[in-house]
This record gives sequence, structure tokens and C-alpha cells, in this order.
Amino acid sequence: MNRPFSWLLLSVLLWSAGLAHAHHSFAVHFVPDKIIAISGVVTEFRFVNPHGLVYLTVKTASGEEQRWRAETNSPNVLRRRGWSKTVIKAGDSITIEGYPTRDGTHALRIHRVIFADGRELPGQGRVLEDSPGLD
Amino acid sequence: MNAFVAPGLWLLLLSLSTPLPAADSGTMPDFSGFWTVRFERTPSGQAMIERLPRDAVLINDSGAGELGKDDFAGLKLSERSQEEVRNYDYKSELKRENTCVDPSVVYYMQSPFPMEIYHGTEMIVFKMEYFDMVRIIFLDGRGHPPAAAPHTKSGHSIGRWEGDALVVDTTHIAAGTIMNNGLTHSDNIHMVEHFKLSPDGKTLWATQVYDDPEVFTGLAARYMAWRLVPGEYIYPYECDPSYGE
Repeated sequence: MNRPFSWLLLSVLLWSAGLAHAHHSFAVHFVPDKIIAISGVVTEFRFVNPHGLVYLTVKTASGEEQRWRAETNSPNVLRRRGWSKTVIKAGDSITIEGYPTRDGTHALRIHRVIFADGRELPGQGRVLEDSPGLD
Repeated sequence: MNAFVAPGLWLLLLSLSTPLPAADSGTMPDFSGFWTVRFERTPSGQAMIERLPRDAVLINDSGAGELGKDDFAGLKLSERSQEEVRNYDYKSELKRENTCVDPSVVYYMQSPFPMEIYHGTEMIVFKMEYFDMVRIIFLDGRGHPPAAAPHTKSGHSIGRWEGDALVVDTTHIAAGTIMNNGLTHSDNIHMVEHFKLSPDGKTLWATQVYDDPEVFTGLAARYMAWRLVPGEYIYPYECDPSYGE
């Protein structure tokens, strides 16, 4: 690396370090036009901003147990749709429909939660199709 | 835009064009209330968009929209900013230390979260749900502080009336993300906003125009719309970094 380029790179890194974040971008990390479904048992639920988290154990057809991380959109939005910090509990058997990660990790953004008794919780809608407050 | 007028000058003209005499507060619009984002297929405030400088690049991510990786709405980036986005590590967004970095007014006004507005004669206060951000727009005729004064994520905003539209000039904005995808605006960004109520008073429209030659050439802009919801209030956001990995 020549000296002028390295100085430019260094100045860019110093200038931008930690600045370009707000929290992570949905569009960058998730596939917005695809929905997958997973079913499993909840091990942990945290209802915090910027995103709530549901950890669950999913048993595959071959019997393998996988740990999945499903994140919600903002709890503030979801509180207005009937969610609370106790609405999901460890031990609950649930199905989650959601947007998969672009890198294929065992994680997704929740579109909908379906409980074993049929109750449903709405998560992140499809943009301009079923967004809350759509006029 | 007239090709012979520099972008910065356009912004100055937008900001300082002949002010109409301030009417008494009884005839001015009142923006007070709880406002939630209108998710619109067709902009209800199209007339506001048509009044933007013609060659301003419209960033179409307001409300539920988001731009993806390497999509900067067609802005022509400076060499420094091209370098920044080339070296940007998207996975760093998932780290605990970056989870609760608050956005600047350049990004938080377009978020899909509601806001409360407290409208006085000397100032207007915006209480945003997103990241618990608060901004004050001074209406008392003061100017901006000296250039070297401290910068904050909400910046320093002064407003004046142009007919029934509120024109807000904001400087001293601390650097922050522009589109939440790796591009940072500088400390020297200058923003001019227009706020206007619909005739029935139930929709609030706004446009923002940004000038930041350290980061991009020309002007960038956004359009936003909110609807009035009586009886609602802002929830605390209280970002929790433990979300990060």
C-alpha cells in the first residue's frame, strides 16, 4: 500500500469508525421477499429495542438440534400490536415465519409467530402490503 | 436546478428566500400532537416533492423503506466516501458496541416511528420515539452558533414561516449515517426542511434537502408524511445494547 493511499484509508477509517450505524439494516442482512418457517421450543425471549429476540431449539428431520435466533422488529411497534415482554415464554412450542438471513445463518426476522394453540402474533409485515398504519 | 447555481447556493436560497412577515400565532398552523408515519404508495404531499430543487437526488427510503447494500440512491460520492463504503464492514452493525449508536436528524426523521410535537411561539419541540431523540426548532429569531460550537446528533435548528410552511435550517449536526447502509454524512452537513399541514390538518408533510460536499456532489433530499392520531403518546425506546453479539 503506498503512503498517500494508506493515509487516505486511515483518515476514512478514523472518520467513519462507529458513525455509520444506527442499528443494523434489515435490507442488508435479511432477504425481504422470501419467508421461511421454523418450528421449535423457546429457550429465551428478550423484548428490548432495537429488536426483540427469541431463541429456540429446532429439531430437524434427521434429529439434529439447531439453535435459532429470531429477531422482532422494534418492540415499540409490536406493543401497539398486542405484544408484551411476557407474551412468549421459555418452553413455548411455536412456529415462526420470517425473513431469512442473506448469509444463511440460523437467524431470521419475524413475520409471524404461531403458537401451538393457534394464537398468532404479527411481526414485520411486507412493506406497503400490510404495514401498520397503512393509509 | 439551474446548472449555473452551485448546490450550496441553492440551499442558501431555499433557506433564506424572502421571508414573509410572521403572522400572529392565531393564524399560523399548529403542528402539535402525536404523529405516526403514513405508509404511502402514492405521496399525498406530491406538491412538496415538486418544489424540491430539480436535480436534488431523492432518497426513497422514508418510513418502511430501506436501501440495500451498496445502494446510495444514485448519489455521486466523494472519493473519501467511496473509500468509506468500500471498506465498510456490515457485520460490525451486529456488534454490541454499535447496536445503540444513535442516528442523526438526517436519518431519524424518516424512521418508521411516531413522534410528538409541542408547538410554541418561541420554539417547536419534536420528541421522537426512535432512539428517544429530541430536537428543538427555535423560532425566536436567533442565528446559528459559531461554526466551532459543539455538534450534536440533532444539530442546531432555526425556523421561520413562509406563508403556512415552516422552513427550518439546521447546522451543527454530528456525523451519522445517511441511509443506514454504511455511508456517513460529515459534521458539516447543512439541512433545510419544509413542514406543511394538509388543508384538513390531519397530515403533516415534510421535505429535507441536504448539502454535504465532503460526502456527495450536489443535493440530496427526502420526503416524509405523518398522520395525526389523537390521544396517543410516545413510548420510551431505551435502546439495549445486549441485543448485539
